[in-house]
Amino acid sequence: MNPITPIINGLAITLKHLFMKPVTLQYPDERPKVAARFRGLHALNVSHNKAKCVACYLCPTVCPAKCITVEAGEDANHDKFASKYEIDMLRCIFCGYCVEACPVDAIRMTGEFELANYHREDFIYNKERLLEKK
Amino acid sequence: MVNLTIDDKQVTAPKTATIYEAAKMNGVNIPILCHDKKLKPFGACRMCLVEVEQMKGRQIPACTTPVTEGMIIRTSTPDIVKARKMVLELLLLNHPLDCPVCDKAGDCDLQNLTYEYKVDTNRFVDEKFHHEIDYNNPLIERDMNRCVLCGKCARICDEIVSFGALTFIDRGIETKIGCEFEDGLNCEFCGSCISVCPVGSLLARPFKFKARFWSLTKQKSVCGYCGTGCNLTLGVKDNKVLTTLYDENQGFHKGQLCVRGRFGYQFINSDKRLTSPLVRRNGRLIEASWEEALEVVAARLKGGNSVAALGSSRLTNEELTLFKKLMLENVGSSNFDHSAGYAHSALTSGFARSFGTTASPASILDIQKTDLLFVIKTDSYETHPVIGFEINMAVKNRGIKLNIISDKRGKLSKLPGANTFVHKPGSEVSVLNAIAKSILDDKLAVGSVDSVQGYAELAEALKAYTPEAVSALCGLTAEDIKKIAREYASADKALILFPIGQGYVSHNQEMSCAVANLSILTGKLGKEGCGVLCMSEKNNSQGAVDMGFFPRADGMNAQQILDACKNGSVKTLFVAGENPIVSYPDKSKVTTALEAVEFLIVSELFMTETAAMADVVLPACSFAEKDGTFTSTDRRVQYVSPSIRKNSNCKTDFEIFSALISKLGGQTPVSSSLLFSEISSNTDGYAGMTHVSLRKESAFASVNVKPKLIVPKASAAVSSEPGKLAMVTGSALYHSGTLSQFGEGPMHVCPEAYVEMSRKDAANLKIHDKDIVTVSSPTGSLKLNVKVTARIPEGLVFVPYHFSAAPVNAIWDGAPVTMVSLTK
Ligand code: SF4
Ligand code: SF4
Ligand code: SF4
Ligand code: SF4
Ligand code: SF4
Ligand code: FES
Repeated sequence: MNPITPIINGLAITLKHLFMKPVTLQYPDERPKVAARFRGLHALNVSHNKAKCVACYLCPTVCPAKCITVEAGEDANHDKFASKYEIDMLRCIFCGYCVEACPVDAIRMTGEFELANYHREDFIYNKERLLEKK
Repeated sequence: MVNLTIDDKQVTAPKTATIYEAAKMNGVNIPILCHDKKLKPFGACRMCLVEVEQMKGRQIPACTTPVTEGMIIRTSTPDIVKARKMVLELLLLNHPLDCPVCDKAGDCDLQNLTYEYKVDTNRFVDEKFHHEIDYNNPLIERDMNRCVLCGKCARICDEIVSFGALTFIDRGIETKIGCEFEDGLNCEFCGSCISVCPVGSLLARPFKFKARFWSLTKQKSVCGYCGTGCNLTLGVKDNKVLTTLYDENQGFHKGQLCVRGRFGYQFINSDKRLTSPLVRRNGRLIEASWEEALEVVAARLKGGNSVAALGSSRLTNEELTLFKKLMLENVGSSNFDHSAGYAHSALTSGFARSFGTTASPASILDIQKTDLLFVIKTDSYETHPVIGFEINMAVKNRGIKLNIISDKRGKLSKLPGANTFVHKPGSEVSVLNAIAKSILDDKLAVGSVDSVQGYAELAEALKAYTPEAVSALCGLTAEDIKKIAREYASADKALILFPIGQGYVSHNQEMSCAVANLSILTGKLGKEGCGVLCMSEKNNSQGAVDMGFFPRADGMNAQQILDACKNGSVKTLFVAGENPIVSYPDKSKVTTALEAVEFLIVSELFMTETAAMADVVLPACSFAEKDGTFTSTDRRVQYVSPSIRKNSNCKTDFEIFSALISKLGGQTPVSSSLLFSEISSNTDGYAGMTHVSLRKESAFASVNVKPKLIVPKASAAVSSEPGKLAMVTGSALYHSGTLSQFGEGPMHVCPEAYVEMSRKDAANLKIHDKDIVTVSSPTGSLKLNVKVTARIPEGLVFVPYHFSAAPVNAIWDGAPVTMVSLTK
């Protein structure tokens, strides 16, 4: 083969890409489009102005990273609710098992992926932070 | 034995077995919902259907059908599986499917069976139940919407607990389990019903929503309250004891517990536990390091005979032995005692004289094997509720006769056929002597009895106790006394039971000799189902006696120690685990003594009244945090291992005593198990026991009886005074000693002391139930709530002793009977 041919081919590819749409996302100026089934930060679903979670302890049981802490409380009507619901995002592996386990559709995973923080304790998401924002 | 075929397997089973039992014995599992091995067969749920070829393939319940020779049984044909699925579908039809919020999930028979049989759809539709949930009491929640009507709760409450709080009410689809007049549950809260409920209808409220069943570590232990020695399974999570769990295979009692054992565990993880040694400086208790505190204590212990010790019978055998060693060998004092100095006298000086041993010649297992139970004091139920269950079952299931002599009626009096002979308070010994006299007079004694040592003296002394003479002072008729004697002597096998404890002053050495005489005279000793069971008060009362933690001839007893504190001859007092200010008689005497003593050392779990007066307080550990052995009332030696890690700044009493021994220059034992080997080699009956063997299985320490007849001295009858009532003290069902005050369960249902009186006296004094009255005695007065009950005879009042807030010892100086007046 002519030793020049591969160089020409290479340049041709480069040249072609010059006229194609760029792949690189200019983050943070540009935002990615997150897929519907993306598994990002959790949110606790709300219904009737209350978290739907009934503190059944299934998600902490199923969680392979053991990063969910639930404590149940009894409200004035003797009903069960999560008096504490905490996820340690440093340990979470975003597997989505918690969502799958939940019998009452109380937890889902959002498209939120920007979870960087300055302090370790800021990675512990308590119930207040996890409640879905409407 | 009969031969039969189960699932094509040739097996044998006892003639009395049901198909279910035969299958279980041979490793075939038949699903059940309404059956419990402790209860009589019932057959309510039809989960256990099997096919029997001889019955033309009909489906019959395995739990109620007895086996017969040659039966061919199939336990899981497709038809049966279909039938069981149908049963489940029908149960789930009205069932709320609350699993996410139901505490039973994970331990629920219905849930497990539904999963096993893959019942994921329902062919039927119907409305769910809308029963009101019973939140009326603080311990048991009753949600009848989840009930599968297996009837186990009602049956256990009737057959074993004999309370009868629950029953089926209404008919057909409306049927539910209810209480009288459809009211809230108000019972003795033993929690037996919770333990057998296959679903989440009955739940323990103190544990409600605390954790899931599967996240609990199950730790085997032994109850730390009374001398029955029930086995417990503690549910532990994150190093906290969150609940007690039911294990139907545990202990002689098959997992049955009383309210204290089941609901009284909260003291273990209480916030009120002491966590740091405290040393008094400038009049105030200040936190100090262990080193400092032990240094101060050790310096003070170098006082020879001017040092005295009061131990608790809740310490382990190892701890008590070490405490005794510390006192005898390192301090050089033989002044040590426990339980107010008298609560153990029935054993240490009564049985010691009569039987030549300090233990009871009978075991709890004898209750089911006897023909006649002779119980002294109906309080036996309150002091040892699970022994009470055994009595219930003996009387109800086996038709064993029950005679009781007591100063008041009680729950045992309500058993079918029970005879309660109510005598005047304080006359127990006279009554027992009169029974002995009657046995001799009516020639009911065994032939060889005149050869027993002490016979002649006893026969002579009993002349003063003719039934006629005694009847005048005890309130029973001579005929009653003769009848008790006749029935006791003529029964093939008879067992006598009586409780001892700090509240039962009259159950002393004299009474235990009087009781022992009866069994010796009639030869009801040393045989199965015979003998005398002296029910020791606390979880290791018998162990404290076995370890010799009571004064020898040269030592002072607890009462003498208190006197010596007051007059200055005892300068240092070491109290380990006792709270004499509340539990010993005569509060003012105890308080003066503890104020007078130069130096008071207290090792405790809590800042008790006694600890508050101390110069040094050492934070100790509960039974759940240490290892060692406890000896139950019938001398069953049981090993406990730590269920949770202790707070790092607390020390077990074993560690405290070890540290002090080494500070005083002595040799400390390497470990508690090595010390136990020493104990087993020099304690009567303990030979061959080791921690390793006891860890596998508890063992009975044998009791060697050398009978001797002793003349029991009856105390003088208490003369009644016009306008005054005779007060006796004792145990309330919900409490044991003063420790149960720190268990939330007991305090939920019985939070304060009360005075229980008869309707007649209440009417005479115009006092009503729940009134607050002042009870005055020569030693003081006390404000108490009134309980008017039918069980108390006229002229008597009962005040339980456990409570710091209203301590009965403010009005009680240790007399068996105190005359008091009640004013509004
Ligand atoms: S599984 Fe759902 S209901 Fe249960 S604790 Fe988790 S979020 Fe709450
Ligand atoms: S009783 Fe059992 S099946 Fe019913 S809700 Fe509770 S856990 Fe679920
Ligand atoms: S707690 Fe005991 S006494 Fe009360 S209903 Fe249940 S079994 Fe009966
Ligand atoms: S409450 Fe529980 S134990 Fe009682 S009948 Fe219902 S399911 Fe059975
Ligand atoms: S207090 Fe006594 S009877 Fe009750 S559970 Fe404990 S050992 Fe058993
Ligand atoms: S277990 Fe046999 S009928 Fe319920």
